[in-house]
Amino acid sequence: MLDTLLPILLFSALALAAIGAVKRVRLWRQGRPSPVPLLKGLAAMPRRYLVDLHHVVARDKAMSNTHVATAGGFVLAAALAIIVHGFGLESAILAWVLLAATVCMFVGSLFVARRRRNPPARLSKGPWMRLPKSLIAFSLGVFLVTLPTAGVLPEDLGSWILALVLAGVVAWGLGELFFGMTWGGPMKHAFAGALHLAFHRRPERFNEGRSTGLKALNLDNPDAPLGVETPKDFTWNQLLGFDACVQCGRCEAACPAFAAGQRLNPKKLIQDMVVGMAGGSDAKYAGSPYPGIPVGEHAGEPHGPIVARQGTALVDAETLWSCTTCRACVEECPMMIEHVDAIVDMRRFLTLEHGNTPNKGAEVLDNLIATDNPGGFDPGSRMHWAADLNLPLMADKREAEVLLWLGDGVFDMRNQRTLRALVKVLRAADVDFAVLGNEERDSGDVARRLGDEATFQSLAKRNIATLAQYRFERIVTCDPHSFHILKNEYGELGGNYEVFHHSTYLNRLIEAGRLSFKAWKGTSVTYHDPCYLGRYNGEYEAPREVLKALGIEVKEMARSGYRSRCCGGGGGAPITDIPGKQRIPDMRMNDVRETGAELVAVGCPQCTAMLEGVVAEDRAEIKDIAELVADALVEDAAPGGAGKTRRNAEEVAL
Amino acid sequence: MSELVRRDPRKEWIARNRLHPQHLEVLAELGGGASPSEWLGPNGLMRRDPHAVGFIGPNGIKRIDRSGAQQAAAQSSSRQAQPEDTRRRVEIEAPAFLVAVVPDMPSGRLSSHDRDLLGLARQLADAEPERPGAVLAVIFGEHKETHFDEAGADRLLHLAGEGFAGYMPEARIAALQSVERELTPRHWLLPDSTLGGAELGRRLAVRLGERPATQVWQIEADAASEHGWRCMARGAAGSSDISRTLPRVALALAECAEPVSETRHAAQPVTLAQGLPEVLGRIEDLGAVAVDPAGVALAEAEFILSAGNGVKDWDAYHHAAQVLGATEGASRVAVDDGFMARDRQVGATGTWVTARVYVAVGISGAIQHLQGIQGCDKVVAINLDGGCDMIKRADLAVIGDAGAILAALVAQVERYREQQRENRDAA
Amino acid sequence: MPHNAPQSATRPNVAVLVSVGHHPLTARARRADQDARAVEMALSLNDIQASLIHAGCHDADSDAALCGYLGMGFEAIELIEQSSGADVAPALAEALRDAAPQLVLSGARAETGEGSGLLPYLLAESLGWPIVTGLAAVESIEHGVATVLQALPRGQRRRLRVRLPAIATVESSAPAARQSAFGPARRGELTCQERPGIDDEALAEWRVQPARKRPKRLKIVKATSARDRFKAAAAKAEGGGGQVLNDATPEQGAEAIFKLLREEGVLR
Repeated sequence: MLDTLLPILLFSALALAAIGAVKRVRLWRQGRPSPVPLLKGLAAMPRRYLVDLHHVVARDKAMSNTHVATAGGFVLAAALAIIVHGFGLESAILAWVLLAATVCMFVGSLFVARRRRNPPARLSKGPWMRLPKSLIAFSLGVFLVTLPTAGVLPEDLGSWILALVLAGVVAWGLGELFFGMTWGGPMKHAFAGALHLAFHRRPERFNEGRSTGLKALNLDNPDAPLGVETPKDFTWNQLLGFDACVQCGRCEAACPAFAAGQRLNPKKLIQDMVVGMAGGSDAKYAGSPYPGIPVGEHAGEPHGPIVARQGTALVDAETLWSCTTCRACVEECPMMIEHVDAIVDMRRFLTLEHGNTPNKGAEVLDNLIATDNPGGFDPGSRMHWAADLNLPLMADKREAEVLLWLGDGVFDMRNQRTLRALVKVLRAADVDFAVLGNEERDSGDVARRLGDEATFQSLAKRNIATLAQYRFERIVTCDPHSFHILKNEYGELGGNYEVFHHSTYLNRLIEAGRLSFKAWKGTSVTYHDPCYLGRYNGEYEAPREVLKALGIEVKEMARSGYRSRCCGGGGGAPITDIPGKQRIPDMRMNDVRETGAELVAVGCPQCTAMLEGVVAEDRAEIKDIAELVADALVEDAAPGGAGKTRRNAEEVAL
Repeated sequence: MSELVRRDPRKEWIARNRLHPQHLEVLAELGGGASPSEWLGPNGLMRRDPHAVGFIGPNGIKRIDRSGAQQAAAQSSSRQAQPEDTRRRVEIEAPAFLVAVVPDMPSGRLSSHDRDLLGLARQLADAEPERPGAVLAVIFGEHKETHFDEAGADRLLHLAGEGFAGYMPEARIAALQSVERELTPRHWLLPDSTLGGAELGRRLAVRLGERPATQVWQIEADAASEHGWRCMARGAAGSSDISRTLPRVALALAECAEPVSETRHAAQPVTLAQGLPEVLGRIEDLGAVAVDPAGVALAEAEFILSAGNGVKDWDAYHHAAQVLGATEGASRVAVDDGFMARDRQVGATGTWVTARVYVAVGISGAIQHLQGIQGCDKVVAINLDGGCDMIKRADLAVIGDAGAILAALVAQVERYREQQRENRDAA
Repeated sequence: MPHNAPQSATRPNVAVLVSVGHHPLTARARRADQDARAVEMALSLNDIQASLIHAGCHDADSDAALCGYLGMGFEAIELIEQSSGADVAPALAEALRDAAPQLVLSGARAETGEGSGLLPYLLAESLGWPIVTGLAAVESIEHGVATVLQALPRGQRRRLRVRLPAIATVESSAPAARQSAFGPARRGELTCQERPGIDDEALAEWRVQPARKRPKRLKIVKATSARDRFKAAAAKAEGGGGQVLNDATPEQGAEAIFKLLREEGVLR
């Protein structure tokens, strides 16, 4: 009897899954077109899954093994079940392999079940709570119906009642795992996730690559939409990416805005996009909500606005403006979903169409348009801080080895100290450098993160035109935001440069022996990774190498490296200034306090400003790496001459 | 008493000779009777005997206070009693022309801007000493000013009447038109101020069909020009200077000229022969609107009670602000911690304020905050830490617990309000 | 863009005069601050239809600046083309007479050229309309009368009732203008109309130069004695010598503060 029931069950489940798949694909295809290499993507998918995705999953070893067992067991079991039971291929070997696969899957399912007994807050509940049971049902059911095929048990053991019960268990498992995969159950992540990997909007991210620069809007075409107003304004593969979310909540756990009680939860945001794509309300969402906003009040549809001008729609504007674009969510996401791209896309619409950048946003953008810097300072006063330094100007030299990009920190008295230190170090190392002086403009970082693509492109194009006048080998900057923009985002507009963050460049100078230091006599030190240097550009080592060369042993914070917590200063967050329960920099300084370090080394003017803004009794001192290096320099009696001779001697020695 | 210096050579000789038996008496006599420490020397110069002046200071050391403050009681000499009014009295009986000035008169008195304007008017009137002009001040409604003479007005036209109370630009322009018809001043000068002069001046100029010079900040004689003057005026929102001939109507900025200080003028009242015309106004003044101090924009507020990290009881603070009728401000920390709204933040990164009185409660005074209150007249600090920067900036600082001091202040103000109410009821 | 909906007879017409401003530091063309506030005021009114009118040059720079107003949510600006240096008052008066709006809003003064702030008065005079200045808000427009709030110094307000049609000017005490968005600004149009201009002859005779910093007024001390002169010369600027009550009781402290508040007259 099972022989007739099982094929019917299997093939009807497969057929329903196929229908669901078509429906799902049509949901995605509502999005705007985005050309992808179909076959190449599909071909690359297994590798992307097995290597790149598992690289992220494997950060949690237990979960990784659980997933390998369960998913691997399932894929094998499903394929063999179709062959053995669906097509009735009576092969004892296959049946035995099938048995092994189901056992493997069963063991994995037990671990899944154990995790679900006391799930951490970041995990979604709801349908996800029944998933381990469904997995067990499938593995157990298939195991049992396969026993006769493998010859362990006689073919006609038990009554037809037992057969019916077994068929029911298998049907449950099939329903969750085949049908649910394409009709919106928890297993949807496998189907959408696989295709998402194949058609990812940033294929460069795979194979150890890195792709973090925002993609430019086409402003020349007056009909091209300015950002994303409705869910269907996302590209189809972005929608596909949202659908791949497995609601593991790793993004939520990493998000600084969520931790600060601001109204953002990256997981909920992605789920809201899924709700919007299919139409409906967020009432069925079973994870942590946006802090302070109960679930069930927001609804949307594919053609409806995501953010309402008045009242509520799918998402509140505050949610989008809470993001610091620190990319911690993207870094943590095992499905490689691009949260930050989506947020900036929606911000673009709010700024470019609604004209609704909150708080100081509008003022900052107006300043950028009128004065080329966010503070509204006279662009002619850019070099006032360095009146006594006699910095060589590109306009005079036309040519230099290093173009020192100063950034908007020139107007900030705190950052001027860092810049002075950096200049001192460069001079001590006898680097041939020059600055743009008053010709430099804001890199456009703030404008772009605030969604004002028009102002960004205007600034970027003018900066690129300025840079094109001069000859230099590389750009060095002490601002990771400028560094990222110059390195990764100017390329699309025609500006390709070799760009170094000052920590990387200083490290090179140290490795080349062009700097010598006094012994470190200071206090204990920790290092704060700037998001735009670390997660955006993968530079975790150079700053630590520099500190090591100074003789400093870094006391690492619990959250450092790729897991570094944002200072709260990115993405225009201090400008949009969305209130929360606590401030992000306060949390970061608490991280510092836990290490017991009395000094935080930083490499970003924004981080310096945010962390120094923390008012606390025993706050650690904050110093830029350039300042630490400058303080430790051994000053030569005749800096130019002596330095040169030493350098020449070393070159000879090399 | 005659001011002639009468000299007695013999007495002077005795006064110089300290050994003379009559020395002290003569000294006392010459010194004006009271003090022998000063006397008139032979050349008419006052001579002083440093041994005879001064007092014993707290440490037992003799101190001489040259300001005379300590000896003021002792000096009763008629010659030194009061600083004499040395200002020249100027009367212009038959002026060759009139320079009309319409001062703002905020709260019924000449403002410093008005005085500068009268100074400017004097420059125009006194340019040719042989053909002097007279400065005519045109005043509307009630006023409390008594020193038009010192400010430089030769003639005073006081247009009294109910019709000018409140915002009555149409009535005022009609009255000024009557002045124009009867007295035909050569120049009209008005203050280019937000207090009303800017508006009135432009209305007048347009009504008279003159193209006025606005935002004038300097005038200089120029024979080539129609009235003999050129002026320097700000243009393009203060970003350019326009040098042009001075037209009949000019609206001048504050500090356009030095106020009159060396002369006194007649301030002789004049009247218009014909009564003022009846005007059918199309603008009706419905009176002042009660403004909630809490709603006043920080940049405009004149009395700010600003809270910082040292405030613990926020309800008490809000209550105090309400009782005092002060606009609420906050330091960055108070805003960051979520106790105050972002638009209440005072400082370089928040709002630059220009309050007349700024009370900082529990604010230590970060540099950005102190920058933001540069424009405040009086700063009061209430703080536990006597060494903080806010105390250094403050005109009045009270060291102590902010909560207790605020509570005491609230009690005091409430008592004061109560008294006022009783007084009003009694009257 | 509810304010540009099809004409309806009942809704009062509000025209806003807008000009090309320039940034005080960089002198780049932009929407003028006060004019933008006037536009904001028009946008904040319910049940009216607002239109924007600009008289001036038609070149790339000023067009870009005018787009700043379109970006606030308008579909078009009526552009009355005039040569640079023309006196735009007659052309504007004529245009307003034709358009016959109920209320005309404008900034108090331009950010370029003479910037005398005379234009609204000239228009009022030539149209015979009343003019009110320094608007903080328009409370209502009904039955040919507008009730408005006028801003006085120190945040005070005065309520006025003015017979329509009228002209009203807006200064920086009015609510700040909303952000100008790129999208609407790009889509908006400038509808040009030609009106004869009159050359401003006086303007040509003036010498215009960048503003000089005005000398700070010196404190002239008419001292009679050497000591007074010395004191005046050596005296520090005010401040730095504040009174500090160190060990006062809260009551004494409060008393001192209370006295200061009364002296300054801020207790009402």
